[in-house]
Amino acid sequence: MPKVKINDTEIEVPAGTNMIEAAKLAGVEIPHYCYHPHLSVAGNCRMCMCESVTPRGSVLEIACNMQAREGLAIRTDTDQVKAVRKSVMEFLLVNHPLDCPICDQSGECRLQDYYMDHGQYDSRGLEPKVSKHKRQDIGDHIVLDAERCVQCSRCERFGDEVTGTGDLRLMNRGDHTEIGMFPGTRLEHDYQGNLADICPVGALTSKDFRFERRVWYLRETAGLCTGCATGCNIQVCHQDGEVFRYLPRRNDDVNKSWICDPGRDLHKRVGSLERILRARVDGSPCTTAQAELATRIRAAGNRVGFVLGTQASLEANWALIQLARGNCPEARFFWVSGNDGDAIEKSDHLLMDIDKNANTAGVQLLAEWVGNVGDTDALREADLALLIVLEDDIVSRLNGGALPELAYFGSRENATSAQASLVIPVTHPAEMDATYVNRQGRVQRNRRATNPLGEAAPAYAALEKLGTALGKAPGTGLPVATFLSLARAVPRLAGLDYKVLGNTGRLLAPPVAEAK
Amino acid sequence: MDFPRILTGNWEVPDVHRIAVARTRGTYSRLPKALGMAPSEITALVKDSGLRGRGGAGFPTGVKWGFVPPAEKRGGKAVYLLCNADESEPGTFKDRYLMWCDPHLLIEGMIIASRALDCHLGYIYIRGEFRYIARRLDEALAEAYAAGLLGKNIQGSGHHFDLYVHVGAGAYICGEETALISSLEGERGQPKLKPPFPAVEGAWRSPTIVNNVETLAVVPWLIENGAAAYKAIGTEKSPGTKLFSVSGHVRRPGVYEVPLGIPMTQFIEEQCGGLLPGRTLKAVIPGGSSVPVMTPDEVAKCSMDYESISQNAGSYLGSGGFIVMDDTTDLVEALTNLLRFYAHESCGQCTPCREGCGWMYQILCRVRDGDANVQDLATLRDLADNIHSKTICFFGASAAMPVQSFLTKFRSEFLDRVQGRGAGAA
Repeated sequence: MPKVKINDTEIEVPAGTNMIEAAKLAGVEIPHYCYHPHLSVAGNCRMCMCESVTPRGSVLEIACNMQAREGLAIRTDTDQVKAVRKSVMEFLLVNHPLDCPICDQSGECRLQDYYMDHGQYDSRGLEPKVSKHKRQDIGDHIVLDAERCVQCSRCERFGDEVTGTGDLRLMNRGDHTEIGMFPGTRLEHDYQGNLADICPVGALTSKDFRFERRVWYLRETAGLCTGCATGCNIQVCHQDGEVFRYLPRRNDDVNKSWICDPGRDLHKRVGSLERILRARVDGSPCTTAQAELATRIRAAGNRVGFVLGTQASLEANWALIQLARGNCPEARFFWVSGNDGDAIEKSDHLLMDIDKNANTAGVQLLAEWVGNVGDTDALREADLALLIVLEDDIVSRLNGGALPELAYFGSRENATSAQASLVIPVTHPAEMDATYVNRQGRVQRNRRATNPLGEAAPAYAALEKLGTALGKAPGTGLPVATFLSLARAVPRLAGLDYKVLGNTGRLLAPPVAEAK
Repeated sequence: MDFPRILTGNWEVPDVHRIAVARTRGTYSRLPKALGMAPSEITALVKDSGLRGRGGAGFPTGVKWGFVPPAEKRGGKAVYLLCNADESEPGTFKDRYLMWCDPHLLIEGMIIASRALDCHLGYIYIRGEFRYIARRLDEALAEAYAAGLLGKNIQGSGHHFDLYVHVGAGAYICGEETALISSLEGERGQPKLKPPFPAVEGAWRSPTIVNNVETLAVVPWLIENGAAAYKAIGTEKSPGTKLFSVSGHVRRPGVYEVPLGIPMTQFIEEQCGGLLPGRTLKAVIPGGSSVPVMTPDEVAKCSMDYESISQNAGSYLGSGGFIVMDDTTDLVEALTNLLRFYAHESCGQCTPCREGCGWMYQILCRVRDGDANVQDLATLRDLADNIHSKTICFFGASAAMPVQSFLTKFRSEFLDRVQGRGAGAA
């Protein structure tokens, strides 16, 4: 790998690495607006200018258009570079409305951040500012204020290169250059929220999040979107137990820097009115539901079935398996494929998978390990008295047909919770630590952002409690330990733990047969 | 002055834009020889002649052609030859005359260039305001096709070359070669990042050579007379003749072909007929509006070639747009007018140029109107410095250099304005 030099730090990076990224690896931040790691290089903002040091002297060049090669040396700390950054900030702000107090981007705005870091000049802007179109409703998720725009063209490139819709365009010239839509058109794609994310300033803001909360009050937790099998990495933004938005979290192997709009909207499920917050027995709230469930499991004898949950985490499914094995050795396992009644309806070739379950691959993995897991037909034919259901809305998946008595561990009301005689509330993923396996076979970690609402507990913890009531606890009270025991038992998870998974996850080891 | 009229020799011949007349003047007579030469021979010839790009940058044409990767390194990609007929630099109007008077000379030059570049498709990118010239070029192309000079197997040589006229929409920036390519591709006319350079990755991501009209029109003469004959004209580093578009306060404005290297005062006196009666010289912009302005002292020292102008006046020969301003000119007004143009024509891509050109224009308006102070002049100078060479293309520098040079070389006129004493006042 070629060695490049950034200021006084020498670092080895893969050939062709963008110098903004290389500098980041060397611990040097190069300010930029138009550069984005997952879009083509435009080179128009001029904020990333640095000195390229050559034997013939230093030349000012933009870092975003420089690729790492042996011997390349740049300086980002010279007076000349500092002066250029300051002047670019001055140019960017001379026609900017400076309406930060009423701008939703405040607090996560690159104009603000870079002004504090690299600007700090006395204003010389005496001329009237150029007026442009404000508060434009350009799509179901996005509001555009063209005056705040810095013409970085990220959104234009996003439309051209990611969604292929080519909808946003720069128009006019000079300081009248303005971003906008063709007359009579609206954003039609399902990735609009990303436009607000990639917009480095307050030009494109999210309708859903606008004016909901100042961003500096929000805390961010690394989570996972559980809307489909893609397993997009997200940042859960929350304050005082309330989740305000999901943002994409960069994972080059899964979702790059994007998430879909339906997935983004799922943050509303955390605190939604559909949440199950109290345990119920036969339709009435019950404080001893777990004991009651234990009684009914004992009563059912060997006619108890357990349904693994494709919506539930690895830990929850592991808890279910361990609980069943420890307390009901005769019990049978099932797996009901399909999507829930309230699943996102859309799918495409980008991020929205047709399988709307976050952990189908995880259930498949555990089903292989358990062996003899019955499918939908087997479930219909089985002679059962009680069926323990983990999160999946099997009633709508089965779409009719007789079912035995149901005990449902679920987080939100649906057809299954309506039919179940016992309902135990479990947490939304934002409220627990857990792991899921996405469609690529990547084991990914989801972190707990907020406290569980009501009586909800993570499913693995709820099952631990049930196991205690039955006499043999599965040992799944804590997520870290649960995953460790899981990883020790299942060969394809060998060597993994939460720390190894980190923030970007690890691919499953290949099945043993393939490994040979 | 005795020199071959390489470019303007046919201009006064009636109907020379018709192929029959053009052929009587020797046009297309160089083709058989050129098509018989190896491509590398033609490129070597152009390299040896020292011909420099006449669009403004003065880059050696043969060297530029040499940047096209050889066929085995092109991965099957075609090579394109684009003629830059956008001629949008204020003060420049030579190419329009060349194309209007003698379109076949340009076509012949492009056929020879296509041979040298192993290129089979070319475009003449012409600015939107030149529609009437585009029509004449189209007629000339039709005649050339009918005569078997374009298309498949030209004159039995086995060389194919198709040539089309593409009319732009009249943006200044589309004269910049990468913006020209963007526009030709159907995109917004904006310069592209370099590297990659067009010779390696240009139109439709294929190797592309963009040459000025005048540059290409010289090529047939080189084939006929050889590199040495061309080098014998002009100076050592600026060989050949050049077209100058003369405008402003002279008796005979117009387009003149002269050998490079003649003294500037001689050019003004002899070709341009001198200044208007009773006037004295105040300033000259030698190479189109973008280059730094020259004072009369500098004019006296300079000759009409690339080196002399840059060494003695810190300016450029540029496109040869020669603007003469006498003592009746209000230079503050002149600069404001120039900046109005640049503020309007900035493509809006790079931050400093997009925001800075309009800003400089607004400050200049205040200076012109007596509403500015000395601090504003300092700001103006600072903005120009902050734009110059901080942008993707040369436009930023083109807008900054007039400001920098006017403010430096004619500072007193600006100081007079900011101190409340306008031009013409006692």
